[in-house]
Amino acid sequence: MLATVVTKTFLDRWKGAAIGAAALAIMFFFGMAVYRDIDLAVYTDLPEALRSLMNIPADADVGALAYGAIYSSYGALTLAALALSMGSASIAGEERNGTMGLLLGNPKSRTYILVSKAANITILSALGALILWVAGIVVPDILNVDVTGIQVGALVFHMFVIAVFHGFLAMAIGAWTGKSSMASGVTAGVMMISFFAVGLLPLVDSLKNGVKAFPWYYYSGANPHINGIDWGHLVVLFVGIGLLAALAVLGVNRRDLRSQTTRVSLVDRLRAYPLTKKIVDRLAGSARVSRIWVKTASENQGILIVVAYVMFLVMGLLIGPMYTFIDEALVRLADAFPEELLAMFGGGDMSTPEGFYQVETFGLMVPIAFMVVTVTIGARALAGEEANRTMGLLLANPIKRSTVVLEKTIAMIVQAAIVAIALFAGVVGGSMLGGLGMSPLNIAAATFLGTLIGLVFGALALALSAGTGRTRVAIYGTIGTALALYVANGFLPFSEGLEGLTKWGPFHYYLSSDPLLNGMNWGHAAVLLGLFVALVAAAVMLFDRRDLRQSG
Amino acid sequence: MTDKIAIHAEGLTKHYGEFPALVDLNLDVRAGEIFGFLGPNGAGKTTTIRTLLDEIRPTSGRASILGMDTHLQSVEIRDHIGYVPGDLAMYPNLTGKDTLTYFANLRGGVDWGFVDSLAERLGADLSKKVGDLSSGNRQKVGLIQAFMSKPDVLIMDEPSSGLDPLVQREFQTMMREVAADGRTVFLSSHTLSEVQRVADRVGIIRHGLLIAVEGVADLRSKAIRTVNLFFDETVDGAELAGLPGVREVKVENHHVTLSFDGQMETLLKVVTQRYSLLDITTHEANLEEIFLTYYEEASA
Repeated sequence: MLATVVTKTFLDRWKGAAIGAAALAIMFFFGMAVYRDIDLAVYTDLPEALRSLMNIPADADVGALAYGAIYSSYGALTLAALALSMGSASIAGEERNGTMGLLLGNPKSRTYILVSKAANITILSALGALILWVAGIVVPDILNVDVTGIQVGALVFHMFVIAVFHGFLAMAIGAWTGKSSMASGVTAGVMMISFFAVGLLPLVDSLKNGVKAFPWYYYSGANPHINGIDWGHLVVLFVGIGLLAALAVLGVNRRDLRSQTTRVSLVDRLRAYPLTKKIVDRLAGSARVSRIWVKTASENQGILIVVAYVMFLVMGLLIGPMYTFIDEALVRLADAFPEELLAMFGGGDMSTPEGFYQVETFGLMVPIAFMVVTVTIGARALAGEEANRTMGLLLANPIKRSTVVLEKTIAMIVQAAIVAIALFAGVVGGSMLGGLGMSPLNIAAATFLGTLIGLVFGALALALSAGTGRTRVAIYGTIGTALALYVANGFLPFSEGLEGLTKWGPFHYYLSSDPLLNGMNWGHAAVLLGLFVALVAAAVMLFDRRDLRQSG
Repeated sequence: MTDKIAIHAEGLTKHYGEFPALVDLNLDVRAGEIFGFLGPNGAGKTTTIRTLLDEIRPTSGRASILGMDTHLQSVEIRDHIGYVPGDLAMYPNLTGKDTLTYFANLRGGVDWGFVDSLAERLGADLSKKVGDLSSGNRQKVGLIQAFMSKPDVLIMDEPSSGLDPLVQREFQTMMREVAADGRTVFLSSHTLSEVQRVADRVGIIRHGLLIAVEGVADLRSKAIRTVNLFFDETVDGAELAGLPGVREVKVENHHVTLSFDGQMETLLKVVTQRYSLLDITTHEANLEEIFLTYYEEASA
């Protein structure tokens, strides 16, 4: 099966494309189901800027809303992001992994490899588009939604072309520089800027024509889900794709291949600079390696910074002013949403600031944010060191296995605390900016419960990691469990007999007490804390019992 | 070398599922000796070492280091050992110095003057990130972290892989110094010549079975050699085949090739008495031949 570079790369990558597209299809299904049952004024009354970004026309019906909001914005972004990640991994990724030399040790030219990778970007984007196309036709049928006049095929084909364009852009940058992070970073930047520009520029008369400078315009500018395929626009993208392919061939053939290297960070540069060497050496060098937990907490900084930043700024600071901004539409939204659905996010009255924060920030985003950080560190803490073959060396020192587990737990708590501080500061700031007068004490209580729910699932990941030594089992096992428990917590109350069962899941103790309004529920906090401690204890026991894995 | 036992294994057995990776290993390594653990790839060397380190737990049997049980007292043991894992990996984003500091902190301090002297002897650059080092230079950092705490027992799995010959020689000197100090070195290898140069005794393992434990001097005398004899006349191969120690004979006109593990003196006496010997070359048989010999003997 690995006969060619194309099939090997396909086998490495098809799962990502399929899972991404399938997740979108499911989102589309639920989105359409919800749109079918609620008053769409909630969306059509949104400020024009937001509607324009989300591709929602002022007179949107259920079909236009579902395809416009979910497919043509989220869908296209996701598909393009998948292509982008393939593009940046194609040449530069093989160099980063040190496998490029091995690949080129075979009698295949650089151009051959590049073309194979390009073929994969195209094939896998097509696979994703195909899944979306099928879902786009089947879902309205199942839900009995009339979608006459929506051109699903045209929309999905446009999505496919814009995805390939971004994949090729990333591939070309990677081919010229050999830096995969630069390839994905620049391409993602281009994609996001052009996405926002195409959404927002048309609102300003003098800048209207500026959109033509952005690739995204040639994807969505003609509204393909309503007007069908626009060949004029697509030709522009095709020419772009052709040019990028030619550039990539040129780039990969003209330069020296990079060998496997570690990234040079700002800290490294400061360490090399005589004036800052001493102080940075102390901080980045000896301080970082003083204890296991310090070293572990200093890793995964990228994720931590992004999560803390998003929770502070987007989910904290900005929600306050936003509440005052779309106040009126929200009251209607609150009326339109079934109560049970709101209860899923911890309920609350969306027309009050506390209820709005509960639904927007604390209901779903807070557990996700904490879990991203804690589950990453929990899963990698033990299994990651085994996969990297450093666990043997670490445990050759006179320390107990339980010490390693506990130090890794401390690192998890430290990272969760950083997110908690960012979230708390953001929400308090948002409440002040919007003049909402929320109680800081109650915000602290909600943040604390959020930290605990994150730690519970982080500890579950740690226990799975300790028991199996496999990072993937730990990550997917935890995400699956969390998702099932979250959904169960939301849906069990629909059935009267099963309502009591929610008490057996952890989300009940995070979502049911409405701490933003009622303050701290110490009983619930104690349950979560107990669960966390029990899972860490399980991790200690499991790790102590088993053989360390040896990869390779 | 003393009679004290540094490493002791008793019926040590490890199965991975159905697969017997290590079968009934009985072994004593004396304090103050350099013990070479020799075997081809997949013979069970790494399994043995990982069991001694309590990374994996034996299916049956037990082992002790310095009189302490490898499982029950593993933390105490690790206070006394230095370890170089096979296929060494470290944290790519830390410099060599950071890496050593990390492990020094976990051990509770080391003599940095000694670390610097080790780095100098091996020519290791500790200022670079480990991920940027070549495999040989990375190996040097791994060796330093094992030697730096002056452990009572050094356990090393294929430690000289990637090292150039000059550094290998320095490394061998370092091992001899450890032994001279009364401390113990347990070293696995698949290279006979390396082990011969440095070890006092050798254990040979194959398919999870310890086939033999020999003093290096005995092994050398036992070792099969390939002997090329050149005569000025045609020689009767059958006659040479009957001599003690001759395992295989090939005759090409005036040139005879022997596989030989007997006393060289006896061979020379017989040959020179009967024929006119023009020239003789001899070299050590490669490891594979020796393994095959032992293996055949062991399974016979």
